[in-house]
Parts: sequence; C-alpha cells; structure tokens
Amino acid sequence: MQHRRQNGVKTSRRKMLDGLAVAIKNNISTTELPTTSSSHMLKEYNSPFDATVVKLLRNSGADIVGKANCDEFGMGSMNLHSIHGAVVNPFVPKVANPGSRHVKRSAGGSSGGSAAAVAAGMCYAALGTDTGGSTRLPASYCGIVGLKPSYGIISRWGVVSFADSLDCVGIFGGDVSAVQNIFNILSVYDERDPTAADVESRMTASRASQERMEQWSDDKGSLEGLRIGIPQEYFPAELAPEILEPVRRTIHGLRSAGATIIPVSLPSSSYALSAYYVIASAEASSNMARYDGVEYGFHVITPYGTDITKASNVYAQTRSVGFGEEVKKRILLGTYALTADAFDNYFLQAQRVRQLVKNDFNKAFAISDYLTNQAPSHSKMGVDVLLHPSAIGIAPPLEGERNDLDAYVQDVLTVPASLAGLPAISVPALVRNDGWPVGVSIVGQWGCDPMVMKVAEYIEKLRD
Amino acid sequence: MAVAALRNILKEWQVLIGIETHAQIKSSRKLFSGSLAAVPDDVHNSHVSLFDAAYPGTLPRLNHYCVDLALRTALALNCDVQRKSSFDRKHYFYPDLPSGYQITQQYQPLARNGFLEIASNSSSTLKKVGIKQIQLEQDTAKSTFNPRTRTSNIDLNRAGTGLMEIVSQPDIQSPEEAAAYVRTLQAVLRAVGSSDGNMEQGSLRCDVNVSINRPGEPPGTRCEIKNLNSVKFMVAAIGHEVIRQHGILTAPKDPSMSESPRVKQETRGFDEHQFETYSLRAKEEAPDYRYMPDPNLGVLVLSESRIQSIAESLPELPPAIRLRLQEKYALPERDVDVLLSIDSGRDVGFDGRPGTGGAIAYFDALCQGANTRGETASRKRDPKVVSNWMTHELLGQLTARKESFKVTAITAGQLGELIDLVQDGTITGTSGKFLLRHMLANPSHRPPLEIATELQMLAVSSEQSSSTSSTDLASPDAYLNELVEGAFNALPSEVAALRAGREGVLNKVVGWVMKQSRGRVDANKVKALVKQKVVKDS
Repeated sequence: MQHRRQNGVKTSRRKMLDGLAVAIKNNISTTELPTTSSSHMLKEYNSPFDATVVKLLRNSGADIVGKANCDEFGMGSMNLHSIHGAVVNPFVPKVANPGSRHVKRSAGGSSGGSAAAVAAGMCYAALGTDTGGSTRLPASYCGIVGLKPSYGIISRWGVVSFADSLDCVGIFGGDVSAVQNIFNILSVYDERDPTAADVESRMTASRASQERMEQWSDDKGSLEGLRIGIPQEYFPAELAPEILEPVRRTIHGLRSAGATIIPVSLPSSSYALSAYYVIASAEASSNMARYDGVEYGFHVITPYGTDITKASNVYAQTRSVGFGEEVKKRILLGTYALTADAFDNYFLQAQRVRQLVKNDFNKAFAISDYLTNQAPSHSKMGVDVLLHPSAIGIAPPLEGERNDLDAYVQDVLTVPASLAGLPAISVPALVRNDGWPVGVSIVGQWGCDPMVMKVAEYIEKLRD
Repeated sequence: MAVAALRNILKEWQVLIGIETHAQIKSSRKLFSGSLAAVPDDVHNSHVSLFDAAYPGTLPRLNHYCVDLALRTALALNCDVQRKSSFDRKHYFYPDLPSGYQITQQYQPLARNGFLEIASNSSSTLKKVGIKQIQLEQDTAKSTFNPRTRTSNIDLNRAGTGLMEIVSQPDIQSPEEAAAYVRTLQAVLRAVGSSDGNMEQGSLRCDVNVSINRPGEPPGTRCEIKNLNSVKFMVAAIGHEVIRQHGILTAPKDPSMSESPRVKQETRGFDEHQFETYSLRAKEEAPDYRYMPDPNLGVLVLSESRIQSIAESLPELPPAIRLRLQEKYALPERDVDVLLSIDSGRDVGFDGRPGTGGAIAYFDALCQGANTRGETASRKRDPKVVSNWMTHELLGQLTARKESFKVTAITAGQLGELIDLVQDGTITGTSGKFLLRHMLANPSHRPPLEIATELQMLAVSSEQSSSTSSTDLASPDAYLNELVEGAFNALPSEVAALRAGREGVLNKVVGWVMKQSRGRVDANKVKALVKQKVVKDS
C-alpha cells in the first residue's frame, strides 16, 4: 500500500516536465549532443557525462531538444563571439518602424541562443549560464524572463567553467511560472559542486524569505508591506531614453498595488564593472589553461622544426588557432592581472571592491545574508528587493558601427549582483506596443530566489 | 678527496640548509577526485577520473582523509594548525599538468611554526630543526619523453594524488644533519601513518636550499637543488654544492671586476652519474606562477574539536616508543634500536588505518600475552625473553631465509605460545628454535603445541602426563639414562678423553644425546648426567 502510494508520488513528480521541451546552453555538458562552448577548441567535443542540471531535467521528464548557441565559453554580451555565428534576436515588434523592421538585432549574450530559443517559442524553457549578466541581458533583449539564481543554489557540476566564483546556471522561460518550475527542480544540493550552498543555509534563507513574503503578499494582489529599493547608481548617463519610461511605469504600477518605493544608494556599484572584469578574466585565464589539445578537444599538429623541448611551443599551436579573439583578449588580461607585479593592484584590489559591493547590498536589505551570516545593519529600514533596469538599452543592432567598449558597458547593471552572488531576475517591463522589449531586474538577498520570482510575477500581472 | 675538502671547508664556513619535502599522502583516494590513488606498478592511465584529466565541467572535492593525515603530520611536527587555510592555483604549462595549474596552499598553509628533533653530529643532545609550514597540494602526472619517436608519453595515474609539502627552516648545518633530518622525518611520517616516505618509489622527494657564509657574517646567497630522490644523492648534492659555492667565494679577485665574487641565486639539478649539481635556471628566469586563490575550494575551516580528536588519536611517535620500551620493558638500547629500525620498515595503512608488519605492535602483543586465538592478556610474558626471541631467533631466521619482518608468516600469538612452551619446559630451547624454523618454512594458523606434538618434539619430562605419548618409556629419567648409555657406547674414545679430564669433549657427548632425542631433552640435565656417570664409572 505504502509502496504504491510512494510510487504514485514519484510518478507524478517525474511528470512535472513531461514532454516539455528544454534547450541547453552549449557550455553545459550533455552526453547526447556536442558541448562545444561555441569554441573551435571544443568543436568536436562530446562530454562523457551529463551535467547535474541536465540529469535533473531528464529525471523530471523534460525533453532536451537541443544545445543553444552562446558566446565562446560564455564570454560576451551580444552573442557575437561564436563558431556557430551570431544569434539573431527573434523578437518581432508588433508595430514597427518600417525602417527598423529589417535591422537584425542581437539576442544578447552570452546565453543568446537559449534566450532566442524561448523567445521564438521553440521550447518551454532553456538553461543558460550567468557570470556577469549572461542570462538577464538576453532575457531583457528578447522580451522573456531570465533568472540568475543565488550563487551556490544550482549545481555547477558539468558547467564548463568561465569564472567559477561568479558562474551560475541561469533559467529562461516565457513567463515567471516556467522559470519557477525549472528552478524548483534544479535548486537541490549537489555534493559534486564544492561551492554548493549547504542545506542548512538554504533552509534558513528560504524560511526568512517566506516569512517576509507572508507579510506582504495576499490573495487580493495587494503589495502592502513590500519594500522595493531603487538604487540611484543604476540609472547611469549611458542609460538609453527608451529604457526609462517602461521602468518608471513598472515602478508606478507596483506602488499603485501598495508597495513602498524607497530610493537607496549602493555607492560601490560604480567600481563593480572594473572589478568584475579583473576577477572574471583572471579566473578565465586560469580555467582556459586546460585547453591544450592533449587530453581532449581540438589539436594542431606541431609543425616540423618546432622546438618541442618546451611544452609551451607545442601548446601555442593549438591555443592560437583554437581560441577566438574575445577569449584570447580575456586570457591576456587575466594573465596580466595575476602576474606577481600586478596581483596586488588588480586582483586583490578587485576582491576588496567585491567585498564593498557585497557590504552595500547587505546594508540595503532587510534580510540577513544567511550564507555568510551577516545580519542587516538596519532591518526595519531595509528593503525586500531592489529594482533597476536590466540593461542600459534595447537589443543593439548586429550590424553597423559599434564602439568596442559598448559590449562591456552592457554589463554595468548586472555585474553587482553577480559579484555579490545574489538572485536576480529580469522580467519584461511595460513596453508601449511599438517597441523592442525592456527588462527590469529584481534583485534580492542571498537565498531569496522565490521572493524575486514572486515580485517578477507581480510585474508580469501589471503587464496584462 | 671531496670528503676531505668538504671537511676542511666546514671548519671555517657555516653551511645553512633548508629542505622542502614532498611526501605523498597515504590515502586510498586522490586529493580532490574520487579516483583511487595508484601504486607504482599499476597499468598506465588506469587510475584517472574525468577531473584528473581536467575535463570541462568537472570540479574538485576535498578528500578529508588527506586533511586528517596532514593534520596528524602537523601535530607530530609540533606545528600550529591553522584554523583557517585555503587553496591556491599555481599555473604553468607542462604535459604533466592537465589543468594547467596545480592546486596548492601558497597563501594560507594548513600548518605553521613547528619543529622536528634530530640527532646532531656536533653534540649529544637532540637538535631542533624548525618547520616553517606544511601545505596540502596535488601531485603531478608523469611524463616521459621518448627521444626516438620524439613524443611524450603521459601517465595520469599520479595526477592529483595528495601531497604534503613540509618546509623546514634553514636550521640544518651539515650534509649529515640533512640526512638525519630526512630519516627522522620519514620515521615520523610512517609512525603517524601519513606517508610511506619511500624515496626510492618517489613517495618522498626533497628540494634542498644550500648557502654558505663565514661565521658572524650574514647568510650567503642560496641555491636550490631540485628533486633529490635518495638520501645518498642529497648528501652528495649538498657536499658538491658547498664545495662549488666555496670555490666561487674564495676565487682570486679579478682586478677588472669592481665587486667581489658572489654566488648567483639559481635553481640547480643533480646529476646522478657525475655526482654534481648543474644550473637549471637563474633567478631571473624563474617562472611567474600567477598564484590565484582557487575559486571552487574556498576556505578550509577546521574546528577545535576535529584538531583535538586527531591529537588524541595520534599514533605513538618514535621518541615516545623508545622511551616506553626502555622504561616499561627495561629493554637494553641495542634491542630498542633493532625493534625501532624494523618497525620503520612496516607497511603504512591507507587513510590512517593501522599498518601491518609493525615490529613494535608485534612486540607489544607478545609481551601482553597474545595467543593463537587472537586473545591477549592470557598471561604476560617477560619482555627480555620476548625481545631475545624476536631480535635474535626470529630475525636471525628471517635473515637466513632472506625474508623481511613485514611478511613474517608466524603471528605474535604463535610465537608467544612457542615462547611459553619453552618457558614452561614443554619443549626445550633447542626444540623451540627448530619449531620456529619449521613454522616459518610451513606457514599455517595452527598452534605451536599442536605442531610440536606432531613432530614429536615435546620434552621428555613433560610427556609423563601425556597419555597419547608416542614414547613407550616408563619415565623420562629412564629414557635419559638410556640415551646417555647409548652415547657412552657410541663414543668410547670421547668418553675416555672425558675420563682423562678433557672437559672440552663434554659438548660432543651431550650433542650426540640431543641429536638422538631430536632436542627433546634438557641439555643441562644431559650434561649433569654425563658428568655424574663419568665420575661414577671411573
């Protein structure tokens, strides 16, 4: 009897995603399809194992329909740096300016393929990764929902490392409920990920988050009691005018529903982007060192006459051809940041900035950081979540003039949450019918993933 | 010549030696991957996990057995165990390093500020050598270059095995002290079960820093000699290096040079055929390893209770064993030396489990009264008698059989019962030795009494009570008398000589009796009886 009931429970859980199509970013290991990471280096590479997240999806009955294009090893903001070519944003504006209709726009990066697959209706949900904004930015550009969970909540076992201290598995969905469904399946402790948050931290944070949510969420859709912080530093000079209006309307809608809107300051945010690029590139230079053409992947046969007494002469052949320009650029930057002379000024300085960014967030939130057990400095005054534009503009055109720096500036609003390891979700804001989508981001305290999804759900309702 | 030259230099110059030891941790699995650690004879690339081969998407997971063994080492070397330590990546490109970095503890090692006491050649008291730090790190793979095919072969079996890097202070002042340091360290590692410490098999490797200066002057520039894999080579390398540096420092000053001659700081190798060191790279050519905190492993936090429980369960260290053997058992120093030296050759168990083949444990079990049923304390035995049987009879016969103590086929319980049989007169000492030889040649789990009975070795005096006795003699004395009679008949000239007062012949007569009885009679009794008979008959 008990056995049968257990079986019944199991079967119904198994069927949670039964038959639903899910796409997987190409830097997440799957046994059935190549895991190229969009790099020549792994063009022919088939992983001998499934990532934990892939295994969990399969166990839930999901249909893994394909691997999605991305920037090489996740490095990029526009999904331009890929051996599979650039990803075209599938969004079609309802009433478009006839002139701009045929301009191909970026789907964002680095998880552009995953976002585009969901936006084009090819799948129910998709997995991406998010190191500095790689899920939130494409979600914003493609008009879908994208979650970067709290660091350590979803297993990274099988995710090809770009920068381990920042890498998260991201979730895309057409709406918040799809993201919630996938999140519930993937947010389990995995002993194979040494950075996985322990069960106790998860439970404590989840309980605290739940308690807060019970204070403001009720059935009538009132947000009385919800405190939303608007960080002033997240409206920089580079912010495009077409972004501001939808963000304002979203804030207005939330306030009308009863939420309290509070201006806050996160003063260290302006240094976050520089710190992010130093840390991410340093870790990338280290993680890319394994691609030498010896154990697996692409290999260039050493030309006759090469001095093969030095391993570097042999490796250089493979690495010079196998890596794309953007990856090479970051390897060089990261290698420099780690040299003995630069280490203190760059790498260590960036780590100090990272701590300041974390402190800023902890000061703003009402809930404690249950991962590091830092109590909030003024919990009564603190906010539940922060709200800011996901990107400084709408999806940029794929062709045409581009300032080299533009691509890096795209990340300016998303990297602080990455540095602090916080959950952040980008959800489409109220856009007038003629325009390209604009995303707003909801950022919460560590472990408050359900809370940011809940707020995102309200924003979704405002849109209807 | 080199030895004499070295001795002369050491009279006027001070030598400072620091040793970095890499000791392979005796864990069943590697430091960060679940794969089983390999032993030297394993088939190439048979102990490799995806992590060991640096496959994309794999992540490290710290093996806590390795941490515990490193903690034992740290405590045994009197170190301050760091409540928080962390792991760093050391980057370089080489085929023996699949990930392009080695995970080590550059910035925050596991333990600091310890010391090891070694025997010193300059005084009778022990000398303290400071231990700067102990860090955990991964071993590399092995790459061998084939010049004929111009290809490198890579064996990943060793890749990722746990190592302890034990760094000494430059407190060592002669090649002999360096040898004593390494040997003492080996004994400590084996005693706590953290490493085989086997230099021949590569589970212990040394890098040695050497500098020389005149007494009273600041230390000289040091050179590092890499990868010394035997104590003999290390002593030779230090000797050569001292002579070489001395040669540079005392060379006639070149008038065209404004500065006095100096030793260049560099990394050197040791040529095992020429017995010389040679330059590998100058300081300027030293690679920048671009150390970076490992973003996956975070901080290793050790609780006070974990450190405490390791400290409480720490196996006994060699100096303590020595003291115990001397005080508790009152063994002479010679026997203690023998037991300790055999004990250090035992097998070290994996993951801190007790090893097998330990001479001290064997000796303790014997003294505590171990028997063949695996019980102890049935009856305590006299340590001096036990030591005599172990260090003379057992080791002597093992040596004759060209076997090591480690693989001895006779258990402590068996030897213990054998000793008991001799002590209570069930068999004679001669029979006991014969029985021991027999049992070594025919290993079994049977109790010695059973074997002795089967071999008809029971002493005649003890067979009185035995109803199953195979002898048909009424009493042992009668049997003894009969044997002595036989000897007098068989050896008339020897008996005549005895009567003539030539005592030396006595042993020959006694020997004849012993042989006839297959050692089952007491030689002293025989001797007395023969003497008595000679006097009586004459």
